[in-house]
Amino acid sequence: MTADSHALAPLDQTGLVASVGSAVPVGHVRGGISNPVLGMLLFITSEVMFFAGLFAAYFATRAQNRPWPPAEFDGILNPLSLILVATVILITSSFTCQFAIWSIQRGDRRGFIRNISVTFVLGIVFLLLQAYDYSLLFGEGMSMGSGPFGTTYFTLTGFHGAHVFGGVLMLGVILYRGMLGQFSARHHDAVEAVSLYWHFVDVVWILLFSVLYLL
Amino acid sequence: MRLSSSPRKRPASEALVAGGVVVVLLAIVAAVFLSGQGATLYPPNPVTEQGHDIKRLYDITFAIAVAIFIAVEGLIVWSIVRYRRRPGDDELPPQTHGNNLVEVIWTLIPTVIVLYLFAISWQSLNTVDALSSDPDIRVHAVAGQFIWTFEYLDQAGNVVATQQAPAYGAGGPDCPTPAMTNPACGGMAVPVDRSVQVTLDSPDVIHAFYVPRFLFKRDVVPGQTNRFEFTVDAAEAGQVFGGQCAELCGTGHRTMLFSVVALSGSDYDTWLAALVERANATPPPPPSGATTLQLTAKDIAFDKRELSVPANASFVIDFVNADPAGVAHDVDIRQSDGKTVVVDQQTADGGKQSQYTYEGLPAGTYTFICSIHPVPAMTGTLTVQ
Amino acid sequence: MATHALAPAAVTYRPGLYAWLTTTDHKKIGIMYLINSFLFFLIGGLFALAVRAELAVPGLQVFTNENVYNESFSIHATVMIFLFIIPILAGLGNYTVPLMIGAPDMAFPRINALSFWMLPLGGILLLSGFLAGGAAAAGWTSYPPLSSIGPLASPGAGQDLWIVSLVLIGTSSILGGINFLVTIFKMRAPGMTLFRMPIMVWTMLVTSVLVVMATPVITSALVMLFIDRNLGGHFYDPFAGGNAVLYQNIFWFYSHPAVYVMVLPAMGVISEVLPVFSRKPLFGYKAFIFATAAIGALGFSVWAHHMFTTGAVFLPFFSLITFLIAVPTGVKMFNWVFTLFRGQISLSTPLIFAVGFLTMFLIGGINGAFSAAVPVDFALHDTYWVVAHLHYVLFGGSVFGLFAGIYYWFPKMTGRLLSEGFGKVHFVLMFIGFNLTFFPMHMLGLAGMPRRIADYASGAGWNDWNLAASIGGFLIGVSMLPFLWNIFVSLRTGRIAGDDPWEGNTLEWATTSPPPPYNFDRLPEIRSERPVFDARHGLIGHAAKD
Repeated sequence: MTADSHALAPLDQTGLVASVGSAVPVGHVRGGISNPVLGMLLFITSEVMFFAGLFAAYFATRAQNRPWPPAEFDGILNPLSLILVATVILITSSFTCQFAIWSIQRGDRRGFIRNISVTFVLGIVFLLLQAYDYSLLFGEGMSMGSGPFGTTYFTLTGFHGAHVFGGVLMLGVILYRGMLGQFSARHHDAVEAVSLYWHFVDVVWILLFSVLYLL
Repeated sequence: MRLSSSPRKRPASEALVAGGVVVVLLAIVAAVFLSGQGATLYPPNPVTEQGHDIKRLYDITFAIAVAIFIAVEGLIVWSIVRYRRRPGDDELPPQTHGNNLVEVIWTLIPTVIVLYLFAISWQSLNTVDALSSDPDIRVHAVAGQFIWTFEYLDQAGNVVATQQAPAYGAGGPDCPTPAMTNPACGGMAVPVDRSVQVTLDSPDVIHAFYVPRFLFKRDVVPGQTNRFEFTVDAAEAGQVFGGQCAELCGTGHRTMLFSVVALSGSDYDTWLAALVERANATPPPPPSGATTLQLTAKDIAFDKRELSVPANASFVIDFVNADPAGVAHDVDIRQSDGKTVVVDQQTADGGKQSQYTYEGLPAGTYTFICSIHPVPAMTGTLTVQ
Repeated sequence: MATHALAPAAVTYRPGLYAWLTTTDHKKIGIMYLINSFLFFLIGGLFALAVRAELAVPGLQVFTNENVYNESFSIHATVMIFLFIIPILAGLGNYTVPLMIGAPDMAFPRINALSFWMLPLGGILLLSGFLAGGAAAAGWTSYPPLSSIGPLASPGAGQDLWIVSLVLIGTSSILGGINFLVTIFKMRAPGMTLFRMPIMVWTMLVTSVLVVMATPVITSALVMLFIDRNLGGHFYDPFAGGNAVLYQNIFWFYSHPAVYVMVLPAMGVISEVLPVFSRKPLFGYKAFIFATAAIGALGFSVWAHHMFTTGAVFLPFFSLITFLIAVPTGVKMFNWVFTLFRGQISLSTPLIFAVGFLTMFLIGGINGAFSAAVPVDFALHDTYWVVAHLHYVLFGGSVFGLFAGIYYWFPKMTGRLLSEGFGKVHFVLMFIGFNLTFFPMHMLGLAGMPRRIADYASGAGWNDWNLAASIGGFLIGVSMLPFLWNIFVSLRTGRIAGDDPWEGNTLEWATTSPPPPYNFDRLPEIRSERPVFDARHGLIGHAAKD
């Protein structure tokens, strides 16, 4: 996809990665995925392992604490509540993010900016809903210190929320650069990288929702 | 540049020199093993049934290790001496890139060796780690910062006596001279030739029960009861084996010593009976009219840091240990330097009370301190006036 | 297309210190990694000497406050592992990998600079614990509950600084690992197929996979510890439904692969040095690569062999895998030895250090097998035997390999050769000092001396070996003097190296010493794993195998 973009590459020896994913450094292995996308895939791999550590801790903790949730918090994590709305919003944002990719691949910059804006806004709405949900849980007396149940819940969702926040920042940068016209059908590695990250964040949430609310 | 078809012929003496160097190295290794120092490469002689198993496994592993060590180190040294580059070696040596046959051989042979080692260690593990359903003796060992408590249990699991003390013969008012059968002299007494099952618990951090002569250790993990079993050899009756916490547990880690005292069956029964009797005895009443002070320890801290008593009159401290079981405290009196012991008291386990009686002291400033936890929060000033 | 593809090439030429502080050149960053890590090596060494001074004879002499003793060995290990061995080998890789694959730089030069600058920051945070009421004192493993909050646990800020510092250093490692992987997969010169890459590049590849997959796991263990300490969490609190051993599982899931992160690059170094100074190719190039990959893969399933005595792991499985990992390691050992065999060996300093690696790492491998036999581990775990084992692997292995690399590539980095005489004095002192320090620890461990104790009874029978170990420790310290003097003198008056002083095999010897920015004006044809050798001698010896 970016193979021919290397044509002028030998002069590109100063601005190597001028900003995330904007430049393809001079390289000799042609074809295949671009450096920023490969870099992001590897970064996501490491993030997967980070969450694997947290999930392992969750399951180990859950296995030795019966009943789960403890009696005082029985039913507090209701899947048919505001959190379902948040889940739908985050899943939707993954689709709009993918629409943005398809738009820019066609060279449709306006469609790209429209879709990325929607994704950006949905991300922020998700964060606001999560914050509101936290306040409800705090109101019912559940906190980080409420035994292993509270600790695992707030740690897992908190780190996911932090990742969503990071993703929203990246989307903001992509949106800004998109509005400056920096992306085109042939040059949008950064967009692909950020969308991969956003899908990852979405998948983590689906896992979290399944494990924390449904399982 | 031309490639020589075979390594340049060396004089025969070259190989002899190289071989000679290897032989000298071998001789040094052999001399170490055969001399007295060679014994330091073995663990100490084990004193338990399980320990003998571990020692046998060690010996086999060690023999294989030494053989591999000599073969490979010898080959390295020989190659370097034999094939070093000399003036005039301009032609390249044969450019050997590999040989599939030898690669397969040196993959398979080590595989066989390690599988053999795994098999025998698994076999050994099954005896070392075995637990019987009805051991002869049950001991519940509690490791708290920084003291060991050994609770002797009856077959139903009830505590019949508790031995809470530092290492065997470590001193104390009741043990001026160590005598094996004196329970006050510390240590965990066990009978020889009977199976002893130890359950391990910790009220605070992770510790480890380690007796080098058992060739064995097991972690003491809070929130998880570990257990293991051992039987001391009959020939060891009358011996004392040092033990020590082996998992870093804080500032007093190195002081967490204990002893295992091996007694013959009858001596052990006498010892345990004395311990039970001591546990059930009512403490002597404090001298009437003595000053009585209240002192409580909680969360590894005394509630008072200043105490004062009249000079040259005996006094009593009503001590409450409000920490959880396993967290032992005492109230010793030391000179104001905080080191020189004036009065040494027995420890009181968490959740227990103790009435400490002290003889009269000359006027002056002293330190009262928990000898288990000599931290600032458990150190106070005793003013005698 | 990218508008800046046509940007002028002049901006990188800045003079002096400013150029170093702002550089994104992998060679300068690599050298800064080396210098920074070496400074931390000296700092970590001072802590080690303090510990050895305390243990030289029974009684407390050096440390009046035993908590400071605990801080010393904790910070010694943390500094040596996270601020010395891992980054200094990453630095060596940073310098060599782009050169060896014929690339102008790393794939992400700015991220490369970021990775580096996180290290001194992390180091300062770690050491600042001493100014904040006491550094971390729960050992480099920092097992909770001892590392949690508690009156006799770790109440101070030092433990929190330790966590933050390690997360920062870990992030630096992860970014570095990603950078290596993208560089290796995407930046190779034409003709540089995967199976023509130098072994150093292969070991950095496997190392980077381990870093990217394992380091985030320790990050998760550390953030949970931080949450327990500061936010009222209960992950590891056994008295509130948590599990103390959980931390150990997660910690060692990283920290065992981390051992390979610390030793594989050193294996790569000597796999470059031995062929060059034997004038032969590495024996069994592909077998070596598969063995490296096998070590990396098995490395993820042996973590619990650090926990045999916890009573909370399935012993036979972890014992079996631990034994099996000896097989690929043995394959490598034989490959190295057969590279020497029938060669023409020049006893230059890099080769001598590489042979030091072979002879010492062999001991570190063999004494590791004792701990794989679970019942024997019951006797040896947490004694000085383990201290001996890990130092034979990490010092006898990694550090000797590291010095082989420094002597080998110093001429490339600076254009000048190090003095052979000082190099050999350095080797002899370090070799003797090392064995005098760490071999007696086998005996101490067998005799029952536990790790991490500040003092021991005079009657315990440990006096002689402890004194020997302490003398050896100071000898290691002394051995650094000829090395530093060698560097100092050779930088000014060392013999001019020329492009290829050793008759090297790999691409870094095809450019100038030091190489220009972006490394190569032209590249030789790459038809094997020894392109520079081929350019010198022609493609000889390949017909037989390839």
